[in-house]
Amino acid sequence: MVTGERGVEKAVVDAYTVRRRLGFFALVVLLCLVLAIVILLSLVTGAVRVSPAMIFNALCNHRPLTATQEIILLQIRLPRVLAAAIVGSALSISGLMFQGLFRNPMADPYVIGSSGGAVLGASIGIFFFSQISVFGFSAIAMMAFAGSVMTMALVYSLARSNGKTNVITLLLAGFAVSTILGYSGYFFGLLDNSNGNGNLILLSWLRGIIGIPHWSQLSVTAALLLLASVIAMPLMRQLNTLALGDEYAQQLGLRVEYTRVGIILTASLLTAAAVSLGGLISFAGLIVPHVARLLLGPDHVRLLPVSALAGAIFLVLADTLARSLFAPTEIPVGILMALLGGPFFLYLLRKTKRSYAL
Amino acid sequence: MTPLLRFQDVSFGYGDKDIIESANFDLYEGGCTALIGPNGVGKTTLLRLAAGVLQPLAGNVLLNDKPLKTLALKTVAREVALVPQQLDLPFQFTVRQVVEQGRTPYLGLLRGPGRRDRESVDRALALVNASGLQHRVFNELSGGERQRVKIALGLAQQPKLLLLDEPTQNLDIGRQIELIDLLHFLRAEGVTILASIHDLQLVEGNFSAVFLLSPGNSLRHGTPEEIMKPSILEHAFSCPPRRHPLLLEREQRDTTRRAG
Repeated sequence: MVTGERGVEKAVVDAYTVRRRLGFFALVVLLCLVLAIVILLSLVTGAVRVSPAMIFNALCNHRPLTATQEIILLQIRLPRVLAAAIVGSALSISGLMFQGLFRNPMADPYVIGSSGGAVLGASIGIFFFSQISVFGFSAIAMMAFAGSVMTMALVYSLARSNGKTNVITLLLAGFAVSTILGYSGYFFGLLDNSNGNGNLILLSWLRGIIGIPHWSQLSVTAALLLLASVIAMPLMRQLNTLALGDEYAQQLGLRVEYTRVGIILTASLLTAAAVSLGGLISFAGLIVPHVARLLLGPDHVRLLPVSALAGAIFLVLADTLARSLFAPTEIPVGILMALLGGPFFLYLLRKTKRSYAL
Repeated sequence: MTPLLRFQDVSFGYGDKDIIESANFDLYEGGCTALIGPNGVGKTTLLRLAAGVLQPLAGNVLLNDKPLKTLALKTVAREVALVPQQLDLPFQFTVRQVVEQGRTPYLGLLRGPGRRDRESVDRALALVNASGLQHRVFNELSGGERQRVKIALGLAQQPKLLLLDEPTQNLDIGRQIELIDLLHFLRAEGVTILASIHDLQLVEGNFSAVFLLSPGNSLRHGTPEEIMKPSILEHAFSCPPRRHPLLLEREQRDTTRRAG
């Protein structure tokens, strides 16, 4: 009798697991489809009319596009749309990793200063080493990465005492460091008298504008995103273990310090990749993982692909809105995100106030 | 016979304060030992030293005759599991997701959980009678349910030595008896147990040995019959308890006034 009951119980559990898996894969497939549709939608949005049918015909070699249409699509809209997708993905994964690492759903690359560090690094790159590039990576991108990693190391060491991360100190330290770094960027801009161009680039970065990148820059960043995602995959399971607390994770055989360094480096790489394409875009890394967690639960292994796809969708949509809402005037997507993400952040703060005793 | 765990002149302290001083004891396989002592005497510290989470300031903790600090974290985690008093989770993990973390010592960086890991989680949940809870959110469980899930997390590690920090805390009398039953069962399965226990009434008849930590950092060990004597316990637990000094003063004043 007992065996029979156990058997039934096991069958129920198996059915639940299958349903959950199917649900997860269905969600991933659905998100891929939505991303494809959103990208297409964004490609056909703009002053020059190019309809989805025209793109489809051109792809099937039925009727080629005119030279102008081709330039607009391939040299202007497509790189920008892909850049938005990369930025959204990179910020969301990096937000997911920081939230897991700090065991706090309110951490994101912007809030904890990682983006600010990347901007400061990049602005030093813009003003002092703009001509240097190594293996196709510009000094600007490398400086952004270095700035991001160093800021994270600083904020992290400020927030840790007695082997524990203090959430309030973390948010305060992140806020302070990110403000200092943001204004340091402006400061470097003031020093740059000789060349107005650098200032222009910096200003657009601080406002968070996704520019129209060269295909070479786009492919390097896409490769970085891919590399970081591959590195992130095994780290996700470890983030689940870290949720039990550092000491418990260590007791379970996890080498906590290595894991932490791995996560900080990977998340900073992602932040730097995002900053190099879109500058300071707030809150994307906060909202997307949070919504994904509400939908799927907190298992980081599942949250990684879902956050990456949802982030891409979210930012492509936001960027399309940013350039078409008040066309021909363009709102920097960073400002749009702050206007949308700010209230959401406040909502989060209010909702989690009790459990975090902030 | 080599002991499973041996404390060799182990000392530990925080800052200037010594918590454990030159502790010596052996734990043999199959034993079920209660760790008792007054509040703040260092029971949790001793368990954390035994799990290798804390490193002794002097002396050695040996697992199967090898110093704990020379062993890889994963090797220790496959042999020893520590069930803490508190477990706070930042996100809404389900019970199953929590217990699955117990398989961490068996997984590699690239090797995820397989059939054997899933079976082990199923078994751990069944042992503590928590299979029905597996899809519930851990943070929404009652104190007693959480306690069972925490033990399942430890059991999923398939340890030889299970260290339990105040496992009967927050449990009503019925759940305490269930827990003691579970300890008997685990012992029969060959798991060695060291549990810090607050409720002294649970010790006799249920544990094969007792460690008594008393202020002044001395560690006594023996059978329950040897240790659970009023004279020994009264001394260790400062019984009768010290009265509040101001209350004593007032009582003395009252007595003098009445006498006058």
